[in-house]
Amino acid sequence: MGTLPLYILVLWACSALLQLITLILLFAKGSFRKLPFFTVYVALNLCQVAFLVFVYSVWGADSETGKTLAWYSECVTLLAQALATTEILKVTLRPYQGIWGLAWRALAFTSTLVVLIVALATHGAWDKAKWFELNRGYHLTFAAAVIACLLLFRYYAVQVAAAYKMILGGFCLYSCTEILIHTVLQSLGKKWFDAYEPIWQSSTMLSFIVVLFIWVAALWKPLPIEARQAAPPSDSVYQRLSPEINERLRELNEKLLRLWKLEALPQ
Amino acid sequence: MNLPLSLLFGFAVLLMLLLAWVLRDPRELEQPDADLGNAEDLDQRHVTYFPQVRQAMAAEDSTFLSSRASQVLARRVQRERRKIALAYLACLRGDFLKLWRLARVIASMAPQVGAAQELERLQLGLAFSWRYEMIRVKFLLGFAPLPELGSLSAVVSRLSIRLDTAMKDLGERTALTTKLASSLDGRGLNTP
Repeated sequence: MGTLPLYILVLWACSALLQLITLILLFAKGSFRKLPFFTVYVALNLCQVAFLVFVYSVWGADSETGKTLAWYSECVTLLAQALATTEILKVTLRPYQGIWGLAWRALAFTSTLVVLIVALATHGAWDKAKWFELNRGYHLTFAAAVIACLLLFRYYAVQVAAAYKMILGGFCLYSCTEILIHTVLQSLGKKWFDAYEPIWQSSTMLSFIVVLFIWVAALWKPLPIEARQAAPPSDSVYQRLSPEINERLRELNEKLLRLWKLEALPQ
Repeated sequence: MNLPLSLLFGFAVLLMLLLAWVLRDPRELEQPDADLGNAEDLDQRHVTYFPQVRQAMAAEDSTFLSSRASQVLARRVQRERRKIALAYLACLRGDFLKLWRLARVIASMAPQVGAAQELERLQLGLAFSWRYEMIRVKFLLGFAPLPELGSLSAVVSRLSIRLDTAMKDLGERTALTTKLASSLDGRGLNTP
């Protein structure tokens, strides 16, 4: 523990305190019943703090074993983060069965695409900084998938409760800042992952503290009660109308195109 | 910064911007039910004013005016008519967007949504917006292809009538569901 600079330890303590407040709020307001995975995620983050204190005390912050164990613990929290996010998306889209069907396909497609892009963009750097690249790849995929879902919400005018929006926004903000910090530091030099580690640690922790403030604000009030779910109209309405509407819209577009071509002709 | 890093940086900035845009309070984000409520207005759309617009923009009228009135007056009338056509085109776009939105409402209420159908509609909407802008520019430059504008209106009109029927159907179903739910609540059959 002695090898970590004091300001990082202070940031770490602030982060742990805010996580504790978030967890208390989740239980005090009864929100843990609605968001069990998110509650587990916050609890796991707190456990990770305790785990890292133990690991760095035993092996030291600079040892390979300590770093590897820290990254393994990060994998667990990142998995919990993905589950917590999926949970919020599912809660939001519960009354919109059709859109949920579309959303998970959008998630799968976007994630696959981003994973491929990341793999192509970073294939040469794996031997130098495997964990950093994996971490950035995850955050890229995560942020892109969640933003794709939020875009879908906006397109279909799905009403998302402010608290859920803030939690999702917090996750995305953290992922985006992680990507930016990684990329900027990496561009500074070849041995970036050793030389700039304290900067990386403090900046990512600062961004996480900002996110925790957002979550505390989001969870300050109890989560909104879900409206009684009305039985959706039968599937046949969509099946019958959707192709017809598309047909009409296509026709309208063709007319527009003809209008454009007509105008293009010499008068 | 090399190319992959620049791409990653650019992508992250793009994600940040998208996040800010997606999370900002959308005042214009309409309530899905609001469109259903306006369904009755569908048959009172701007397309119904097309005969008047066509009359105002008729080539015969312009020829007649040019032969009888001064050049200055003819030009002024032409300018006014172009303004009317542009306003009409804008209204037509409003109608298209409203109908397009209604289609999305139907999709959002459906228990199963076809990805291909939705993608196609998105594509059609984007194509419409692009073409509309192009035609608007052409109008501004002084062309007035009225017959085609007429057929455009006919398409919107047909679509609006069809959707009007669909919305009434949906409205009846929703009312029936609400009635059924409230009657169950009233008999103490409401489950937590």
